[in-house]
Amino acid sequence: MSDPKRWPFHTVLVANRGEIAVRVLRTVQKLGLKGVVVHHAADRRTIAVKMADHAVEITGSTPVAAYLDGRQIVAAAKKTGAGAIHPGYGFLSENAGFCAAVEAAGLIFIGPKPEQITLMGDKVRARNFVEKAGFPVAPSAIEDDDPKTFVERAREVGAPLLIKPSAGGGGKGMRIVRDLKLLEPEIERSRSEGKRYFGDGRLYVERYIENPRHIEVQVLGDSHGNVVHVFERECSVQRRFQKIVEETPSPALTPELRNKICETAAGIARSAGYRGAGTVEFIFGQSGEFYFLEMNTRLQVEHPVTEEITGKDLVHEMLRIAAGEKLGCTQADVKAQGHSIELRIYAEDAARGYTPTTGPILTLHPPQGEGVRWDSGVQQGGEVTSAFDPMIAKLIVRAQDRTEAIARADQALRETVLLGCKTNTAFLRRLIQHPAFVAGDVHTGFLDANPQIAAEPALAETTLQALLAAAALNTRPMRDVADTVPDMHAAIGGWRN
Amino acid sequence: MHHAFKLGDAEHNLALSRSADAYRLHLGDKVLPIDLRTGADGRAWLTIDDVHHEVVIATRGDDVFVHFEGEAYQLRYEHPLKRLAEAGQGCAEDNVRAPMPGSIVAVQVKAGDNVTKGQTLLVMESMKMETTIAAPRDGVIAAVAYDKGQTFDRDALLLSLGPMVKDGAQK
Repeated sequence: MSDPKRWPFHTVLVANRGEIAVRVLRTVQKLGLKGVVVHHAADRRTIAVKMADHAVEITGSTPVAAYLDGRQIVAAAKKTGAGAIHPGYGFLSENAGFCAAVEAAGLIFIGPKPEQITLMGDKVRARNFVEKAGFPVAPSAIEDDDPKTFVERAREVGAPLLIKPSAGGGGKGMRIVRDLKLLEPEIERSRSEGKRYFGDGRLYVERYIENPRHIEVQVLGDSHGNVVHVFERECSVQRRFQKIVEETPSPALTPELRNKICETAAGIARSAGYRGAGTVEFIFGQSGEFYFLEMNTRLQVEHPVTEEITGKDLVHEMLRIAAGEKLGCTQADVKAQGHSIELRIYAEDAARGYTPTTGPILTLHPPQGEGVRWDSGVQQGGEVTSAFDPMIAKLIVRAQDRTEAIARADQALRETVLLGCKTNTAFLRRLIQHPAFVAGDVHTGFLDANPQIAAEPALAETTLQALLAAAALNTRPMRDVADTVPDMHAAIGGWRN
Repeated sequence: MHHAFKLGDAEHNLALSRSADAYRLHLGDKVLPIDLRTGADGRAWLTIDDVHHEVVIATRGDDVFVHFEGEAYQLRYEHPLKRLAEAGQGCAEDNVRAPMPGSIVAVQVKAGDNVTKGQTLLVMESMKMETTIAAPRDGVIAAVAYDKGQTFDRDALLLSLGPMVKDGAQK
């Protein structure tokens, strides 16, 4: 459906910012539809705002608060005639209340139904649902089942185990317990963090897989009951439980395992009658066992790698599904070719505990060329502030195989020029050159187990000389002093520090 | 001739001179001929000791940012006079600076409060992690620069302590 007149909406509002707002707008406009973006004043001069056919400024006590204000967003949609809202990822994308409010306002929410967000949004509820539907979940103990016996049942799960807040996400409040003597104090700490970060101190405990791999599967479901999977992504390289590198296919899977894990994901989505684009996440053990971890009922940050190997435009699929169309393909029609890797470019100092960095983007030369894709919301002349998440861009490469993809990624990182704010590009180059990564031998604890990757190597003398030379020649006071002193005096000697 | 650049945590002393047709970098006991030819959009060709490198350079205030062999670096120029002045000034522990950008979660002290070394002064948040900022020494709070909810960049002055009184006695 590339004819705009055949869509049930002519305008789509993107309720997000940064790179994902640009990404969604790109497809919206490619399809001949109009794109509206809401933005806080802090984002006034960003790419998405420039690209949009119409930009509506929204307000909030903080910039983030603005993007969490569902009322302003719905009002902006009505004001601009947007018939559908795309929530992107983060912010309100998995907020069932917002989804319901959009639908109640007579607009189309480009995503699942509110009850599907609710089901999968609570990790315990999701886990129970998946287990009852006959799919693999890790041995666990859920506090709500019987709070009085929780500690005892948790002990029975056995060590090592993971304590998680039920309302949690993003790795917050999670604690690994290897010595059961520490179980009770760790439960208390996790509970207080759950209360602090999510307003909910309920917990559950799950068997912890040592050196697990994080493998997730992209699924698509339409409103006619059809579900297909669009293969997997491996996202094992993480820091602070946040992903840094994602790729597909996963180097850990045999064809049989790939099929098994992808079909499991499709089965889970089918059981939920899932509508829209979603991702089923699994924890994968070194001996090939896998368990359901959670389901994200939205588009994921790393969706581009799936697009690169399948040729699908997932945002286009989301729009079609939202417009009531059938998937239009069978599982057998979904094919993949080659290898794709995504590297998240963070404004942070990897060598100093990955602390976020800020600064002006004085120069930005993104990488280019065959098989190279740069998804970003920042541009030269912009500024990285602490107002938002430090992920400023995604570098995605595609190649015939994994070895070529790594080489292409390294080349692209070398070519990426971003001056004014420190980023993790040098760290990423060290990471993808590490023998374990090259061998596909990664797990979620990989970076913690290899702290030397984050550490900055000592500067070569020639590098130091070149940097100081470049700096000196660009520093007015130094040039002035050099220019005003005649060579004759220098020849006299002793012209040293 | 007392120029220096800070690169990371290290300070490098150097000097620049020129001959009839080229500049020379004086670093340690080395004297290197250098040349820089600038192009468009920050691109430049640096020649050092007869080796050519393509670099990209941007400047802002005292900072020079250089992209060299696939990596970005930041060098901060240290003004000779400023360095001399700072050497004579107060104790480095008078100023409490932000270790990373973030926002204030809670402020536990106010101007005029006596504090002891290690006492929590404020709690800040950065990327959903909380960090406590503690007093680097015994003293008196001279000023608190931020309120709860406000955001700041790395190195921002968060609090200042009053100068130590003789014998470590507090005012």
